[in-house]
Amino acid sequence: MSIIKANSITKTYNPNTIPVHALRGVNLTINKGEFTAIVGPSGSGKTTLLNIIGGLDRPTSGTIQVDGQNVSELSDNQLIDFRQKKIGFVFQSYNLIPVLTVSENTEFVMLLQKRSKEEREKRVAELLHAVDLNDKKDKRPSQLSGGQQQRVAVARALASKPTFVLADEPTANLDSASASNLLDIMEKLNREEHITFVFSTHDQRVIDRARRVVTLVDGAIDSDVTRD
Amino acid sequence: MLFKISWRNIWRSRTRSAVVISSIAVGVWALSFVLSFSNGLIYTFIQNAIRDQYSHIQIHHPKFPEDKNNKHYIENADSILSSIKQIPEIEAATSRVITTGMLSTSHGARGVQVMGVRAKSESSVTKFNQKIVEGSYFIAGKKNQIIISRRLAEKLKVKLRSRMVLTFQDTKGEITAAAFRIGGLYSSGNMIIDESLVYVNDKDLAKSIIIVESNNNNLDVAHEFAIYLKDSDNTALIKDKLKKQYPELLIEDYYDLSPDVELYETQINTSNSIIIIIFMLALIFGIINTMLMAVLERYRELGMLMAIGMNKAKIFFMIVLETFLLSAVAAPIGLGIGILTVYLLQDKGIDLSAFSKGLERFGMETTIYPAMDIELYVQISIAVFITALLASIYPARKAVKLQPVEALHKI
Repeated sequence: MSIIKANSITKTYNPNTIPVHALRGVNLTINKGEFTAIVGPSGSGKTTLLNIIGGLDRPTSGTIQVDGQNVSELSDNQLIDFRQKKIGFVFQSYNLIPVLTVSENTEFVMLLQKRSKEEREKRVAELLHAVDLNDKKDKRPSQLSGGQQQRVAVARALASKPTFVLADEPTANLDSASASNLLDIMEKLNREEHITFVFSTHDQRVIDRARRVVTLVDGAIDSDVTRD
Repeated sequence: MLFKISWRNIWRSRTRSAVVISSIAVGVWALSFVLSFSNGLIYTFIQNAIRDQYSHIQIHHPKFPEDKNNKHYIENADSILSSIKQIPEIEAATSRVITTGMLSTSHGARGVQVMGVRAKSESSVTKFNQKIVEGSYFIAGKKNQIIISRRLAEKLKVKLRSRMVLTFQDTKGEITAAAFRIGGLYSSGNMIIDESLVYVNDKDLAKSIIIVESNNNNLDVAHEFAIYLKDSDNTALIKDKLKKQYPELLIEDYYDLSPDVELYETQINTSNSIIIIIFMLALIFGIINTMLMAVLERYRELGMLMAIGMNKAKIFFMIVLETFLLSAVAAPIGLGIGILTVYLLQDKGIDLSAFSKGLERFGMETTIYPAMDIELYVQISIAVFITALLASIYPARKAVKLQPVEALHKI
């Protein structure tokens, strides 16, 4: 079942001065349960594509459908709502709210969704167990290592039970052990709970684990390989 | 949760928050001090004007205030005075015989207003006996004593026990004169009063000027009754009561007697508002600057919050709340120090004797007792919070205008 459907996506920056074509007609379908890496060298357009899929940016032309909904038609405020309900984000850095504890960070999106206290507490406990951070739940992000912070980000991204998780270079700032640990957790969640993950990365450690690798070169799909 | 985030955000940059909190607190303190000072100035002025000059209520013959002619007197002063004193709200009352005259000494002459007072009740209404700086207040049984101000004594080159002659018109319009001996010198702290008023016993004065046709030289008369109330708030009530009791007489309160008192009261509100607005303007830019820094510093974080689904209204509200909380911490500190300052100074007062010449000329006291009322504290608090809210709008707008995708990739 396809959950993301990108049709002829183009993105041109500075169309009136010196146009930069970040994406040149990308067609991409992502199905439920995928563990997909969008890879490519710097400037290949992978972050742009991820931003467009995530409703953070709008394509210059083409349409993007998530769960059958045309994202391009949404207003700014509808987009915020859409992101809150459908997408879990894991960014490269500046991921967490520094003034909140681990469990408060995890709970945050559910609070925005006005979930009940009971449900929030249950979900936070589940997720912190899944990312193995139960003992750190009252710590602030500044008291955690980079790997631990990214695991909190994964927990937060999953809190609202999104349609899929978008991770923009999640391992870029991590050492090997932390990166491996983070990937283990994400793989496990993907395998056991069928959560869809889409990464943008040029980190070989992520590429090695991905079951589908979409390679972008100069804003167009150069190869799309699915592995078993 | 928003409250929690906002509150914790304030303390992220402790130094910066401490600086802005201190500046608001100092501003609030300065504002409360300046307002209490100007309040005290006006309040003291009004209280003194009531105590020394006007009392709360005065009663005259309806024609007396107009031409000050001493033929417009009120008869049966004794019985009127004793029935006025029966009113429970009244602290003290007295009656006066008043005329204008010429005060002559061997060194010169001077036009003065002669106040013929009842020694005992005058001191309970105006505390005039406390203003004697040399010699003594009226001594019972002693004839033709006069009390003039020290300033006037210096000008006329006279001393205690000097003789002086007062010349005036009697109620028939005939020129008459009487000799007086200086029993005491007073100083009122008000140059205008010092130079124009002299005091004698009412009976001594009445004897010289009042020619009562109807009643064989009965000197039971007065030109003025002065009434001091226990509580200023009862002024209108007692005024009405007296109007009913003495419909043929002119009953006036201190507003009628001195329009400048009312003017001062309105003036103080206007000047307080202006001071508050200036304060708000000074404060607003400081807060905008701080909050703008706080927003720009957290650009990426705000972008992340918007990316994960925090809507613009919530972001806006969060910044407003942070600003509000900053002032909610600062304002009580400033007000607390302000209240303490006023509390410490309200009994001791601020001695302005260095500038006393100028103040005395305006009939003001040289020691100012700062006075603050609850209403002003409330006004200051409201002003601070309005300032905070206004100051937060620009930074909050800046925050919601950011595009998450740009903010996230800003370095």
